[in-house]
Amino acid sequence: MAAKKAGPASVKLAAVLDLNEASNLHGKLVSMRGSDIVIDASGVERVGVQCAQVLVAGVKAWEDDKKSFLVEKASDAFQKTMQLIGINHENLVAKEI
Amino acid sequence: MDMNEIKEIFFQECEEQLAELESGLLKLNDGDRDPETVNAVFRAVHSIKGGAGAFGLDDLVSFAHVFETTLDCVRSNKLEPTQDVLKVMLKSADVLADLVSASRDGSGVDESRSRGLVKELEALAHGEMPSSSAHEAPKPAAKAAPAPKAAPAPAPAAKAETPKPTDDSGFQPIPFSFDGFGEDEEPAIEGSVYEVSFKPRRELYSKGNEAALLLRDLSRLGEMSINCDTDALPALDKMDPEASYFSWKISIRTTKSEDDIRAVFEFAEWDCDLEVKLAEEASSNEELPMVPVPFDLSILDDSSASDEDEKAVQSSADETVAAAVSAAETATSVTKAASRASEKKESAAAAAAAAAQNNAAAAAAAAGQTIRVDLDRVDRLINLVGELVINQAMLSQSVIENDATGTSAVNMGLEELQQLTREIQDSVMAIRAQPVKPVFQRMSRIVREVADMVGKSIRLVTEGENTEVDKTVIDKLAEPLTHMIRNAVDHGIETPEKREAAGKNPEGTIKLTAKHRSGRILIELQDDGAGINRERVRQKAVDNDIIAADANLSDDEIDNLIFMAGFSTADKISDISGRGVGMDVVKRSIQALGGRISISSRPGHGSTFTMSLPLTLAVLDGMVVTVAGQTLVVPLTAIVETLQPEASAIHSFGANQRLISIRNSFCPLVDVGRVLNYRSTQANPVEGVALLVESEGGGQRALMVDAIQGQRQVVIKSLEANYTHVPGIAAATILGDGRVALILDVDAVVAASRGQSMKPEMSLAATG
Repeated sequence: MAAKKAGPASVKLAAVLDLNEASNLHGKLVSMRGSDIVIDASGVERVGVQCAQVLVAGVKAWEDDKKSFLVEKASDAFQKTMQLIGINHENLVAKEI
Repeated sequence: MDMNEIKEIFFQECEEQLAELESGLLKLNDGDRDPETVNAVFRAVHSIKGGAGAFGLDDLVSFAHVFETTLDCVRSNKLEPTQDVLKVMLKSADVLADLVSASRDGSGVDESRSRGLVKELEALAHGEMPSSSAHEAPKPAAKAAPAPKAAPAPAPAAKAETPKPTDDSGFQPIPFSFDGFGEDEEPAIEGSVYEVSFKPRRELYSKGNEAALLLRDLSRLGEMSINCDTDALPALDKMDPEASYFSWKISIRTTKSEDDIRAVFEFAEWDCDLEVKLAEEASSNEELPMVPVPFDLSILDDSSASDEDEKAVQSSADETVAAAVSAAETATSVTKAASRASEKKESAAAAAAAAAQNNAAAAAAAAGQTIRVDLDRVDRLINLVGELVINQAMLSQSVIENDATGTSAVNMGLEELQQLTREIQDSVMAIRAQPVKPVFQRMSRIVREVADMVGKSIRLVTEGENTEVDKTVIDKLAEPLTHMIRNAVDHGIETPEKREAAGKNPEGTIKLTAKHRSGRILIELQDDGAGINRERVRQKAVDNDIIAADANLSDDEIDNLIFMAGFSTADKISDISGRGVGMDVVKRSIQALGGRISISSRPGHGSTFTMSLPLTLAVLDGMVVTVAGQTLVVPLTAIVETLQPEASAIHSFGANQRLISIRNSFCPLVDVGRVLNYRSTQANPVEGVALLVESEGGGQRALMVDAIQGQRQVVIKSLEANYTHVPGIAAATILGDGRVALILDVDAVVAASRGQSMKPEMSLAATG
């Protein structure tokens, strides 16, 4: 359980979260299962639905793992897009169990 | 890639879209009411409009916009696609094609015609039926217009506004800010509440569209709240990051119409499930937790456009649209290419070998890769392959001469080379093979236009338009075919009054058929008109000194007189109630393609022109034979079998005809050397070899040659281009030893043997 001791892992989201980025992001999240995670959304300029899907699936997976999944420093574009597509922003930003 | 190249690609795609448009309209005209056909037609015009908007081709955009609006009425069942409506639409498709050409070449268009059609299209969109059919279509056009309680200004008013051609980019206006509600006056003041259900499919994303942007645009139409259904989302480790799982229920209060809402999704419409309806009083969506959408989404625009200037945002949107259009079109052409590829059995073996290791999904992905190649490059490749074939034949020949046993390593290697050359050649030929559909479609326009001009009602029926043939053949086919179609409409089919008097359907039918027959393509043009007036044709031929006054001609021979040079010098074409306008020109064009044309006619029932053309003008498999010391090539496709005649099997018939008995049936024996005037007397059949051939008429003949040298693939060199047309000879080729050999035109030789004697000047004795 070395991962636990190492503290939360962090992922900085790319500026453009489009179709091409969805697979990358998915791969990153899958490889980080099991540890707490902090998602840095400060540099996000554009969010596509497919990346949002990956993030929501991530939140659910981390919930199941009883680990924390924290989206912090969400950029305005990130927040507004999530709101636009009807994803409850609160669910993404702080979900610590 | 510079702008001109991109524009050129757009025009190429326009051609494909125009073909789709026409074929869809013709299907509708034939009674097809499949919504997908209507959609395909709409898509075609829509894509042209989208692309044209990106290039600032305003005339094209304006016309396409009006056309599209009317098509949209058909699509939403507000306008019944009657024959009269379709007539206007087919004409509009013609004008659209003209506008595309004009934009491409800078050529002029008939502006009064396009203005007239714009009016007609607008009238249709307003529910006014074409005058000629007013009695048969009394149904009001706006039957499906919703009459919502909440919106006192319903769709008919909105409809009345939509046909206006836009003056700039041509797209449906999607406002960028909410400030101008008052100015952008729509009749309703408080607006209506619509429920929108939007479920994108995977293709929506893979074609470059983005659901979030669509939702953003939708939110700009009014006050929107949204519920995202994430239930379909699988667990993280089971999900496909590029698939589509989210769907939305949206409630929007807007002053815009349902059409405006749909317009937001217009480029993605086929890749999503979309439902737009006026909210019921007790809305089902009220049970769902709806999230209000932030009103100011300008931040989302800024991120997608470097320039904050609104204009730049607009142009960026246009580019996105163009990219989406192009992606969608690429997808369409890919699908077409994939289906074509699957039909191509000659290349299937090679393709199968390459794809053997891939699973079905990978193969499908590979099929998605197509490129557009300049035709010149393909032509160059074909020429080079032709030279390669000749070179390989020469090499083989010199090796054979030096290696009588044929067992040396060089010889074995050469055989492999031969195999490879063959495969390369087949593959290259497959690149050039194209369905005849585009040519056939062009003909339907000609039928429409000429029929209109001469006041006749004519239907063009096409069959076998997917028959494939070399592109060169297709390109050269259009001209003679156009000529013949014009003739058929102008002279072949009678006027409606005459047809009715003769107890026929006042609407004439012209049938254009393509099919493969013995390694050639057979194109038939059949009309149900009056047929050839043989009396008059004969008289004309006598008057023009083409035949002697007392010549004894069969009906077939009289019919075929119309192909004689000089026949078309008839003083007044319309005096001949059959045909005869420049048919010698048609015949020459067909002959230049290595083809033949014949006519058969039944008085009162119409005429049938049959053209037989080679599938390719580049190579053929031939049997190399010797006739009177000359080397000739007989196309292998014509040969059924070869046999060594025995004296007992030869029977005399008439003065100088001979028959050969083959398995209890008799077949006329034709001495090729005699027919071609290589020799003055008939050779002894027992000393030669008989090639049993099947002619296009279906009959069999035994062609007598002196000896068979072997089978070989030969590269066709046009005799017309390099020398002149020689009756009985289709083309020439260069053999492995560098000598020129003539390729026999089997049907012409067979026809000559039937007594349709060839003229003395065709003697090849001197040229061989």
